[in-house]
Amino acid sequence: MGYGRYVLFRLANMFVVLILVTVISAALFYAAGEAFLWDLVMSHVNAEVSAYRQQYPTATEEEIRRFKQEREKFWMDYYGLTKPLWERVLTTTWNLMTFNFGKALQLRTPGGSDKVIDLILDRLPNTILLFTVGDLITMAIGIYLGMKAAKNVGSLLDRAISTFAMVTYSLPMWWTGMLMIMVFSYYIPNPFNPYEGLFPSGGILSPEVPPDPFLRFLDFLWHLTLPVTTLVLVSFGGWAYATRNIVLGTLQQDFVMAARAKGLPERKVLYGHVLRASSPAIATSVILSVIGSLGGAMISETVFNWPGMGNLAWMAIANMDFPVLLGWMYVTTLIWLLTLIVIDLIYGLLDPRVKVGIAVKGT
Amino acid sequence: MGFKEFWEEFFRYKSGIAGLILLFGLAFMAIGAPLLAPTEAYENWLNDEYWVENPEGVPPTWAAWLMGKNLPGHIIMTDPVEEDRWQEPLPWGARVYRWVFKYDFYYDEPPKDLMFRVLGVTRGEKAPLIRIKIVRPDEKEITITCNYKLSERFRDTNCISISVTGTKEARFDPLSKGATWRFAEKYETEENMIKAIGMVIDEMDIVFREAGPGMIFGDTPLLHGTYKFIITVKMYNPGDRFDGMRVIVAGKVYGLLGTDIRGRDLWVGIVWGSRLALIVGLIGSVVSTVVGVFYGTVSAYLGGIKDEILQRIYEVVASIPVLPILILMAAIFKPSVWNLALMMALFYWTGPVKTVRSMALQIKEEPYVEAARAIGASGWRILTKYIANQVLPYTFALMAMTVPGVILTEAGISFLMGGEIISEPTWGRILGDAHGYSKMWWWILPPGFMICLTGLSFVLIGYALDKILNPMLKR
Repeated sequence: MGYGRYVLFRLANMFVVLILVTVISAALFYAAGEAFLWDLVMSHVNAEVSAYRQQYPTATEEEIRRFKQEREKFWMDYYGLTKPLWERVLTTTWNLMTFNFGKALQLRTPGGSDKVIDLILDRLPNTILLFTVGDLITMAIGIYLGMKAAKNVGSLLDRAISTFAMVTYSLPMWWTGMLMIMVFSYYIPNPFNPYEGLFPSGGILSPEVPPDPFLRFLDFLWHLTLPVTTLVLVSFGGWAYATRNIVLGTLQQDFVMAARAKGLPERKVLYGHVLRASSPAIATSVILSVIGSLGGAMISETVFNWPGMGNLAWMAIANMDFPVLLGWMYVTTLIWLLTLIVIDLIYGLLDPRVKVGIAVKGT
Repeated sequence: MGFKEFWEEFFRYKSGIAGLILLFGLAFMAIGAPLLAPTEAYENWLNDEYWVENPEGVPPTWAAWLMGKNLPGHIIMTDPVEEDRWQEPLPWGARVYRWVFKYDFYYDEPPKDLMFRVLGVTRGEKAPLIRIKIVRPDEKEITITCNYKLSERFRDTNCISISVTGTKEARFDPLSKGATWRFAEKYETEENMIKAIGMVIDEMDIVFREAGPGMIFGDTPLLHGTYKFIITVKMYNPGDRFDGMRVIVAGKVYGLLGTDIRGRDLWVGIVWGSRLALIVGLIGSVVSTVVGVFYGTVSAYLGGIKDEILQRIYEVVASIPVLPILILMAAIFKPSVWNLALMMALFYWTGPVKTVRSMALQIKEEPYVEAARAIGASGWRILTKYIANQVLPYTFALMAMTVPGVILTEAGISFLMGGEIISEPTWGRILGDAHGYSKMWWWILPPGFMICLTGLSFVLIGYALDKILNPMLKR
C-alpha cells in the first residue's frame, strides 16, 4: 500500500468514526432530553394560554382550545418534536456534517447573536488562550524536570517527582482551583484595594474594563493568573514523570552508549542525542494534550467562571440547549480526530513501519 | 505466580504498602460509617428540619485552638436547674410551666445564636403562650418575648421555636428581634441607635456584652458570668401537652469538621461520602476494566476483519465526549450512585482496550502459543489458558489505576449537578454546595482532600501491581 492509499484509508476511517460519533451523541442527547423538551413545550404553552385569557377575557373555550393547539404546534416545531427521533438524529447529523450548525435555543453571545457557530467562535479563543498558555508553561517545567530526574534516577528529585505525579493524578483540577480562589481571592488581600483579593475569583476581564489596550491586557493577565497556575500545578508532575520514563527508555538505546563512548560530554549526550530521539514521543503528547484541551475543562472553567468552551458546554446542558451542545460536540470531536490523523500521517511519512503494519493488517 | 509469592513481592514496594494502609483506613471509615456518624443524620442530609438546631457555617471545634481563641461550643440544654408547674386558680384553669436554665459564659466571643424550643406541642382551640426572659450576670434582664403565640405560619410544625438572632426565619420565629433592640435602646446613645438603622447587627453582642454605649456594634467588653434563661409556658386547654423543652446555645464552632451554610454536620458527609466514593469507584472501575480487558483480548485473538470492526467500534466510543453525555444522562435519569457508576462504565471500558490488545497480540505470537496451536489446542483453550492467563493478573493493576478517574468524574458530575440529582452526600456534592462560599475552608478542604486521598491510595497500589504483574515489564 502506497502512502496515498494509506492517507485515503485513514481519512475514510476518520469519516466513518465521525459520522458514528455524531449519530450516537445526537441520539443520546435527543433521547435523554425528550421528556425535558416536552415539559418545556407545555410550560411555554400554558404561560401563553393564560396570557391569552387575560388579554381576551371574552374568548370562548373553543377559541382558547384552538389557540392552545396552534401554540403547541409552534413550540413542537421549534424544538423539532413533531418529527420522529431517528429523523431528527439523521437531519442533525447531516446538518453538522455540512457545517450547518443552526441557531441556539436560549444561549446568546455577548453581541446578541444566536448562531451556534458564533457562540463557539466567541468562546474558543478564551479556551485556547487559557490552555495554550497553561500547557506551554506546564511542558517547559515538566520536560525540564523530567530530563533532570532521568539523569539522576533514584535521586531525591526523581522520587519527589514520582510522588508528586501520583498525588496530582488523583487531584481534581477544579478543587485545586477552588483552593486557589479561597487563598488568593479571599484570604490574601490586595495591597492596592483592601476590598478585593490579590487575584480575582473569576471571569476574564474586570466589569469596568479599562479602555487603554495595555491596561486591558494587564487586567486580562491578572485574571489569567489563577486558572493558569492551577492548571500548571496539577499537570506538570504528570508531564515530568512521563518525560522521565520516555527519556529513560531512550537512554538504554545503543546509540546513547556510542555517544558516550565517543567521549561526548554528558550534557551534549542528554540534550543533543537523547532529547532529540525522544522528541517525537514527547511532541505527540504535547500536540494531543493541547488539542485535547480545546473542548475546555467543563468544571474548572465553571469554577473560575471562565467564558471558554467547557463553560459553553455546561451552559448548554444547564439550559438544555441541544443545538449548542451538538455543535460543541461536533467541533471538538472533529478537531480531535483530525489531529489524530495528522499525527498518524506524519508518523507514517517518517516511519515506514507504521504503514507497512496497516498494509499487512488491511490485506 | 503463587499467592504467597505475590504478597512477598508486593511488600517490597513501599508505595504498595502505603496505598494499602490508606485503603484500609478508608474501608474502615466506609464500613464503620454508622458507628462514626449517626445513620439518622446521613438519611436526613436533605431534610433541613433535621439540622435546624445547628449553627450555620461555623468552623470545627479545633479551629478555635488554631486561632488561639476560646470560642463557645454548641450546647443543647434539656435539663433545667429549676422546674415549676402549677394550675391557675381560675375557672378555666390554665396550666403554667416554668423552667430556669443556666449557662456559664466565659468565652472570647458571644455564641452564634440562642434558640428556645418547646417540642411536640399538642394544642387545642387557644394557642399556648410563652414568655422568655434572659437574666444577665449584671442582673439586667432582657425579655425576649412576653406574650408569644405560635404564629399561624408555624402551626404545622408542632414546635414553638424562637431564635434570638432570627437568622433561621424559615423555621424559627424572628419575633424576638425587636426585644434585643429595645434592651439596647435603654443603654445606647441616640447617635449609635440612628447609625445602626439598616445595618446588620449581631443580636448576640447585645445579649452577651456589657450594657453601655457601643454595645450594639460589639464595642463594649464581653460580660462573663452565669446567664439565666427563664421560660414560662401557659397552656389553656385541658388536653394541651408537650414533649420537651430545650435551650440551644448555638456554637461559634461545631463538631469535628464544622457545619455548612445549612447547618449540616460536615463530619457526617465526609464519613458517609467515603462509602459512596468507594462504591462508585470500585463498581465503575471493576465493570469497565473487566469489559475492556475482555474486549481487547478477544479483539486481538480474533484478528483480521473482526479485529478491524471491533477496533472501529472502540474508536467510536472512545471519541464520544463522555462528560457532557454523562451529565445530561444524570440530569435526566437522576440515578443512584450505583447506577451512576454503571453509566460511567458504559463509556469507560475503552480505557484498557489499547494496552490489553497490544499485550495479547504479543502473547499470541509467542512460540509456546504457536506450539499449543500446532498440537491442536482449541481456540477457546488458547484464549483462556495462554492469553487470558497472562493478561488477567494485570487486570488488577488496571482496575486500581481506573478508580481515581471514576471517582474524579463522579465528583465532577456531583459538583455540577449536585443539588438537583444526587440525593446522597457525595464529596463532590458537598463541594458543589460549597461553591461560592470561598471563605469557609473547613467546608472546601476536607471533601477534596478525601477525594485526593482515595485516588492516591489506588494509584499507589496500582503502581506496585503494575510493577509486579505487567507482563510487558517482566520480559
